[in-house]
Amino acid sequence: MSLPPSGGGRARNVAPMVLITVRLPLEATLPGAMHHYGLAKDEVDLNYGLVPIDPVQGLYALRVTEDASHRLGMAVEGPYADPKIEPFGPPL
Amino acid sequence: MRVMIQLRPSSDVVAAVADPDLTATAADVADRLPGVVLDDTYTPVAVPHPIPAPGGDPLSLRQPLTYSLAREDASVMVRGEIADDELSTRLNLLPLLRRDVVGVYADPVIETSLVCGGDPAVGDWHDVARLMRVEELHAAGLDGSGTALAVLDSGVNAAHVARQLGRDVTLDTTRSWSPSTVEGAPGEFDVDHGTMCAFDALITAPRASVIDIPLLLSRARGGTAIGGVLSDAVAAFSHLRGVLDAQPVETRALVVTNSWGSFSPRWDFPAGHPGNYSDNPSHPFNLIVASLEQAGADILFAAGNCGGDCADSRCGFADRPIVGANSHPLVLSVGGVDVRARRVGYSSQGPGRLSNRKPDLCAYTHFSGSQAYAPAPDSGTSAACPVAAGLVAAIRTRWPAARLSPAELRTVLRRTADHPSGAGFDHDLGYGIVDPAGVLAALRRRAGA
Repeated sequence: MSLPPSGGGRARNVAPMVLITVRLPLEATLPGAMHHYGLAKDEVDLNYGLVPIDPVQGLYALRVTEDASHRLGMAVEGPYADPKIEPFGPPL
Repeated sequence: MRVMIQLRPSSDVVAAVADPDLTATAADVADRLPGVVLDDTYTPVAVPHPIPAPGGDPLSLRQPLTYSLAREDASVMVRGEIADDELSTRLNLLPLLRRDVVGVYADPVIETSLVCGGDPAVGDWHDVARLMRVEELHAAGLDGSGTALAVLDSGVNAAHVARQLGRDVTLDTTRSWSPSTVEGAPGEFDVDHGTMCAFDALITAPRASVIDIPLLLSRARGGTAIGGVLSDAVAAFSHLRGVLDAQPVETRALVVTNSWGSFSPRWDFPAGHPGNYSDNPSHPFNLIVASLEQAGADILFAAGNCGGDCADSRCGFADRPIVGANSHPLVLSVGGVDVRARRVGYSSQGPGRLSNRKPDLCAYTHFSGSQAYAPAPDSGTSAACPVAAGLVAAIRTRWPAARLSPAELRTVLRRTADHPSGAGFDHDLGYGIVDPAGVLAALRRRAGA
């Protein structure tokens, strides 16, 4: 299945990025995650970084290029929808 | 079923009903209508008879008519009730048994229409303060002191909020956070949606410390439209996890108010796809919401503005518009009512997609408040959510998460909510409208137990 349209691309990256999750030890770092998964700098949203989701479970979020996501395949989870979000007011 | 019954009694009775100086009762007019319980409190009303011009059609109302209350022309209306299980039979028999019965009509409940987007304000923020029992809460020491209140929105203009509230605002610049693409200092953003949300929360919890997270500015470019993407919300919640973990366990108090959501499935994978957001508790954002709640945060989401009566034009979900984290079982999903305790027509109705029993409850909206959109009111479930968050922040002043867990607090709010119909729960209002007096009583009972 193809990806849904991204809610918004990041101006500082050329390639469209997708949201994935990875499992790493506690206190993991972005350079460590990139090394672990063999990701190049231009394949990762460096501004977004490595975002802890559940520190106890060692679950983190990353934004990577679609190509990188495909290459990583079953080694990671995702890609996940990254929908546009908007305020609930005033009603239009 | 309540009914109106039109009769043509004797001309003397008609004349008595039509004469304002005389009093005729329902019994005088309709004496013992079989199967009808007459309403004795309803004074019979004379109904004029339409009369066509000479040569006109005596059966048509689509022509010039005059209306006569003369005793030989007029009829009389009374009010009563017919048992629901006899309705069909009685409606057929009445004109046969009583030749003076002209017709039987439904007597439906009539209501003013619900408030919709674009309608003027209903009341102002002082009404909200009164309904939220702000004086009683503050007298009980519940004013938000020491409570962190994270406003995830379009950024806060603290000076504007302070001006409108008429008091100082505590802004926690150290723990505020922005997505990497957002420029600007905490508390110094343009007056917009986030400023409205901060104001509405501080009505009840004026001493809370505002953590400013301008999440919805991450995709704003050039124009005035505001919006972001969900991955930035993942990062914001991760930041808040750090904020929470840094608080001493015994005094943890973090309230997170979210007046935003996803309007359309256009940006999402279909329900059932593993990457889907709207219906998928395993989406990373739904996971981090659960993780933050488990760590002790109170998380509130607006239910949305996709109510069946007058939905926002952006609403794209064909049904069940409370989606994703807005319907998460571990958050409070907040619908909107006006200060007359009537649901606003745009407030999204349940069931929710991640949890059936949504919205959880309702709080006040559509009032003149922050003046962020002056002269338009603070509206949408966007305003209702921080109003409820203000109550939660006030409670946390004396009831940190170690003393009353987020789940226990949600239960208190649901159990004390006031449902106007006494329904207990429905998908319009959830468990009802927040009832701060009931919450105070429940907390006092709990403290004394």
